[in-house]
Amino acid sequence: MPAIDKIDINKGTHLQVATGRLTRHEAIDISGSFVVRVEENARYEAFFLMRGQKADIQVELQGKNASCDLKIVYLSAAETDNVIMTDIRHTHSETFSSQIIKGVLVETGQAQFDGVIRIPFDSQKCEGSQNHQAILLSDKATVKCTPELEIYADDVKCSHGSAIGALNEEQLFYLRTRGIPQAEAQKMLIKGFLSEITPDDKISLIEDWMDAHE
Amino acid sequence: MALLEIKNLCASVGEKEILKDFSLTIEAGSVHAIMGPNGSGKSTLSNVIAGNPAYKITSGSIQFKGKDLLKMTPDERANEGVFLAFQYPVEIPGVSYATFLKQALASKMKYFGEKPLDAVHFIKRLKVRAQALGVTDEMLKRPVNVGFSGGEKKRLETLQMGFLEPDFCILDEMDSGLDIDALKVVSQGVNIMREAHRSFLLITHYQRLLELIEPDVIHIMIDGHIVETGDKTLALRLEEKGYASYR
Repeated sequence: MPAIDKIDINKGTHLQVATGRLTRHEAIDISGSFVVRVEENARYEAFFLMRGQKADIQVELQGKNASCDLKIVYLSAAETDNVIMTDIRHTHSETFSSQIIKGVLVETGQAQFDGVIRIPFDSQKCEGSQNHQAILLSDKATVKCTPELEIYADDVKCSHGSAIGALNEEQLFYLRTRGIPQAEAQKMLIKGFLSEITPDDKISLIEDWMDAHE
Repeated sequence: MALLEIKNLCASVGEKEILKDFSLTIEAGSVHAIMGPNGSGKSTLSNVIAGNPAYKITSGSIQFKGKDLLKMTPDERANEGVFLAFQYPVEIPGVSYATFLKQALASKMKYFGEKPLDAVHFIKRLKVRAQALGVTDEMLKRPVNVGFSGGEKKRLETLQMGFLEPDFCILDEMDSGLDIDALKVVSQGVNIMREAHRSFLLITHYQRLLELIEPDVIHIMIDGHIVETGDKTLALRLEEKGYASYR
């Protein structure tokens, strides 16, 4: 087992994740830009909850077996738009990245997600995945998503996907046939959607946000 | 007073009319079965009774315990005592079965102005029924219907029914995708719920289910309405002749 560092990055920080270490990073309402450099055999795991910020996250996987796992939840309401940019650079062969970004938008909330995975010519046997999902609870909410793969190496595995839509009507109906009123059912589904990537101790923040935007 | 009274109901999905002048009366304490070929409107009927907003009622009425069911939201119908066991229960990732059942029961108690059960009584109420249906603690920790086999999903639907104690239960093709052992477990779960105040509507293609859950009345449904009503011998005759003679 690698040692675990728990860290707190401030705006504009450069973080070096040391060889052979697992670094866990959890932050609420991050903003600004920061760069994380992950060394050989090191792993960077992050969870960010955003409620109206702009963040630019760059991760450089610079040694063999370096890996990163980014999980981002964003919540957008009127006057609290989110802009998220991720830039994952596989600058060494055999490096691995995974990103899951999930958003919920209410009222006139907006969000923009621009995610790039870069794999240069000589970085072979890398794997990168990027998945973005957003639920719009209002006709007036909007999401812009620009996934980008900049891949020059030929022996790599990369995937990206984005799904944006309303809550699933069938799921909503199912819950309601069990006596759960519409508003409660919606909250359950949103919580279920986000809890897949949200640490248990951060769920209450999401619940508070939903209560404030009913 | 009948428990459920459907009169001259017409319902459509999109532009297509599926239920055509459909009428059915179900007394308290009885088990009715509706049999019919694919596309006859059986599943539409169950969705319409449960209040699925995807279906549009164009005319007719449904009275439940003397109240206008069509004026109620799906959750109000459920809390009044209507339960639909789905043919294909939907998966809900991220919501555990236990959380879901707790919320469902709390909603019902709130509807009647009661306080929710405390954790101890909730677990007690759930465990008794879960054990009888072979539903394990591990299954209850998993997300609703995610990764369960067809048989497990139907057992869990039956568990919900027993747990929420509705007065009117619609079982939409409970037998589809079940092997005979699972079918017996589920049927037993239904049979122990048969009481003087509770009624069932079984929707099925096959006579097999009706051997395990014996109905009082059988209806044949073709093209959106009932074409024949009889006792359980009707299913046997149907098994021999098929639906061809009704068309």
